[in-house]
Amino acid sequence: MRIIVPIKQVPETNAVRMDEATGTMIRDGVEAIVNPLDLYAIELAIQLRDQHGGEIIAVSMGPPKAAAALREAISMGVDSGVLVSDKAFAGSDTWATSYVLAAAVRKIGAFDLVICGERATDGDTGQVGPGIAAFLDLPVISYVSKFDSLVQGACRVHRLVENGYELLEMALPGVLTVVKEVAAPRLPTLRGKQKARKAEIPSWGAKDLDVHADKLGLAGSPTRVVKIFRPSVARKCVKHVPTDERTLNEAVDGLVGFLRGKQLI
Amino acid sequence: MPRLWKDKMSDGAKYNPVTAEIAAELAAIVGDSYVIFNDPEKLEPYSHDEVADKHYAHMPEALVRPGAADEIARIMKLANKHLIPVTPRGAGSGLSGGAVPVFGGIVLMCDRMNRIIEIDRANMMITVEPGVVTNEINEVLRSTGLFYAGYPMSLETCFVGGNVAENAGGGKAVKYGVTGRYVTGLEVVTPTGEIVQLGGKLVKDVTGYDLVSLMVGSEGTLGVFTSITLKLMPLPQSNVDLLVLFGNIHDAISAVPRIMTGGIIPTAIEFMDQSAFVAACKYLNETIPYQQAGAMLLISVDGGDAEQVQRESESIGEMCLSAGAIEVYVADNHTTSERIWSVRRNIAEAFKVFSPKQSLEDIVVPIAQIADMVDRLGELSGKWDCPIPCYGHAGDGNLHATPVMNPAWTQEEWEHKLQAILAEMYQIAKSLGGTISGEHGIGSKRKKFMPAVMGQEQMNMMRAIKRALDPACVLNPGKIFDL
Repeated sequence: MRIIVPIKQVPETNAVRMDEATGTMIRDGVEAIVNPLDLYAIELAIQLRDQHGGEIIAVSMGPPKAAAALREAISMGVDSGVLVSDKAFAGSDTWATSYVLAAAVRKIGAFDLVICGERATDGDTGQVGPGIAAFLDLPVISYVSKFDSLVQGACRVHRLVENGYELLEMALPGVLTVVKEVAAPRLPTLRGKQKARKAEIPSWGAKDLDVHADKLGLAGSPTRVVKIFRPSVARKCVKHVPTDERTLNEAVDGLVGFLRGKQLI
Repeated sequence: MPRLWKDKMSDGAKYNPVTAEIAAELAAIVGDSYVIFNDPEKLEPYSHDEVADKHYAHMPEALVRPGAADEIARIMKLANKHLIPVTPRGAGSGLSGGAVPVFGGIVLMCDRMNRIIEIDRANMMITVEPGVVTNEINEVLRSTGLFYAGYPMSLETCFVGGNVAENAGGGKAVKYGVTGRYVTGLEVVTPTGEIVQLGGKLVKDVTGYDLVSLMVGSEGTLGVFTSITLKLMPLPQSNVDLLVLFGNIHDAISAVPRIMTGGIIPTAIEFMDQSAFVAACKYLNETIPYQQAGAMLLISVDGGDAEQVQRESESIGEMCLSAGAIEVYVADNHTTSERIWSVRRNIAEAFKVFSPKQSLEDIVVPIAQIADMVDRLGELSGKWDCPIPCYGHAGDGNLHATPVMNPAWTQEEWEHKLQAILAEMYQIAKSLGGTISGEHGIGSKRKKFMPAVMGQEQMNMMRAIKRALDPACVLNPGKIFDL
C-alpha cells in the first residue's frame, strides 16, 4: 500500500494563551507539536503498512519549521516526508489549504489511501481532509473509528456516527479521516529519531505544484474572518439551599417540578 | 524535668482536650469561619495523610486555618498554656503520618497562607507562603526564565511548606538535589510561639549554627514555617525524556551505574519494575507495548542548549541499548513527555485502586548498591510470599519498595507479617549502607524502626534539640522518636 498522511504542526495545546484584546492565540514562545489528532492517522498508516507492506509519505503545509513535525512522524515510523511551504501559501483557509495539499498529493503520485486526522486542534474545522478528497475527486469517509479490512480494491471501515457505527466500503484510492478510537499512537523511538534527523525532506513551493496563483494564500481564500469573540457561557442556575424541613420540601418540589417540566421524569 | 517530658510523650492522655472555650479562643484568633470544632464529619479528612492504611489515622479535635504568622504565634502560645498538641498540615499528601494528630488536639492547616510574597529576579530568589502548591511556583516563574528545581511526585497537589518540612526529594534529585538545597531563608513560628527569621537571601552564610537546615526536614516538630525563601535556577530551555524498556530487572538496574558514570548527569533516572508499570499503564489506559518489558527506566536530560541535550540523551539512549534495552522511546516535547512521566507519577495511585492494603516505603541505599537491594527485595518477597512491587529514583538510590497484602492473608496476618517484612527490609537497606527513609520522612509510621538504623547517642542529640525548642512538647508530638 502507498499511503499519504497530511499532518499539521500546531501550538502545544496546554501552553496556549489567548490575547484577550484581539481574541487570537499567542503563538510566540509556544512549543510546536504534531497536531495530536494527526497521530492517530499516522498510527493507522503504520499499522496498515506493517500489515500489507508499502510505504507512508507524510506531507505538511506550513512554514519551514513545520519540517520538525515531519521528522516527528518519521521518528514514529513514517517512511518519508514532504514539506509544502511558500510565502504565497500564508493565510490560507481550509479551502486554499485543501487545494494546495491536493496538488501536493497529486505530485507525490499513485497512492491507495490518504489518511487524515479528524481535525487540527488549533483551527478545529475538520474540513481539510474531505477538502483534499473533493479536489482530487476521490471518495472520502470521515470519522473512521476502525479499519476493518482490505477487500479487492476497496477498504471496509467503521464510521462513528451520532447513534452508533456504520460499516462502509470504499473503493481505493480514497480518503479517510480518523477519530481517536482508530488506533493508539506509538511513541517515537531513539532509532526513529536518528533516522528522522538524517532524512532529506524536500520543500515544494507554489512553482513546484500545479496550482493557480490566484487560488493561494489569504487572497485565494474565500473565508473572511469578520469578528473573533469569546462566547459567554450562560448557565441559568436555580439553587435551592434547604435549611429546615419546609425549605427542604420546597427544594425537592422545585427539583421534581423542574425535571417534569423538561419531561425528564 | 525530663521525667515530665517522658510522661507527656509516652502518654497522649497527659494532654488536655480542646474545650468549647479553647475553640472560641481559636476562633477569636483566626476568625469564626476558619475553625472546625465538634464536627467529626468535617474533621475526618484531617485525620490522615496519603498513607493508605487507615490504621495510622487519628482524629483531630479542632482544625484551624490561620492566615498569618502572628495568628500562628498566638495559637502556639495558647497551646503551651493549655498543653494541647498542635499538628501542622500542608496539603496532606505526606507518606509518613507526619500531619496526623496522633494525640488529637489542634490541626493547623496552612492552606490560606498561599501567597507568592516576592519574586526577586536580581537575586534569583522567590519568597512564598507555605500553602503555595509546589507546581504553581514554576507557573508564576514561567516568564522570568528562572525555575525552582524541587520536583516531588505529588507536585500538582502538595504544598511547598510540606516539602520543606519533609525535605522532599522526588524525581530530579539526581541532578538538582532535594528541597533543602534551595531553602535559604525561613520565617518560623517556634513551638513556644515566637516569630523568628532564619537565613535570608544569602548563597553563603556560616553565621552560627545552620538553623535553616535544622528546620528543613524537621517534619513539623521544631517550628511552623510562615514564609519560605527559595533559590532559583536558570530555566533549562530544553528537555528530553527517554522511556527505556528492558527485558528484565537485572538489565535495567545494571544500566544505572553505567549511565551515572558515563559522563553525563541526567536530571532523573526513575526505575519501575513490571508490577509497577503494568498497574500504572492499566490505570492510565496507556498503550505502549509494556507487555514485553520486565522493567523500565525513565531518564531525563535537560540543559540550556537543545542540540547538546539531544546529543546527551542520544548518548544515554545508546548506553541503554548496549546494556540490553529492548526499546528506547524519546519524548522531546511537553505532550509526549507528560505521557511518559504520568506512567511513573501514577504508580502509587494505581496501586491504591488495586489494594489499600500496602505500605509505600522509600528506603535509600548508595547508588552502587541498588542492584543488590533490588535482588534482596526479590528474595524477601519470595520468602514471605508477599508481593513487593518496586519503583523509584534509581539515580539517587531511593526505592519505593511497596509490600502489598497477599490476598490469601487475613487482616491480622497482614498487620503482623508487614511489621516483620519491614523490619527485614530496613535491615537489608542498613546492611548495604542505606537507611529507612530517603524522602518520605519518619513521622509516626516509621518511628519504631528508628533505633534499627540510628544509634542511641544520635537519638539523644535529636531529643535534646526537641526539648530545647519545645519544652512543653506541644508541636507535632509523637513523631520521629519518643522522648
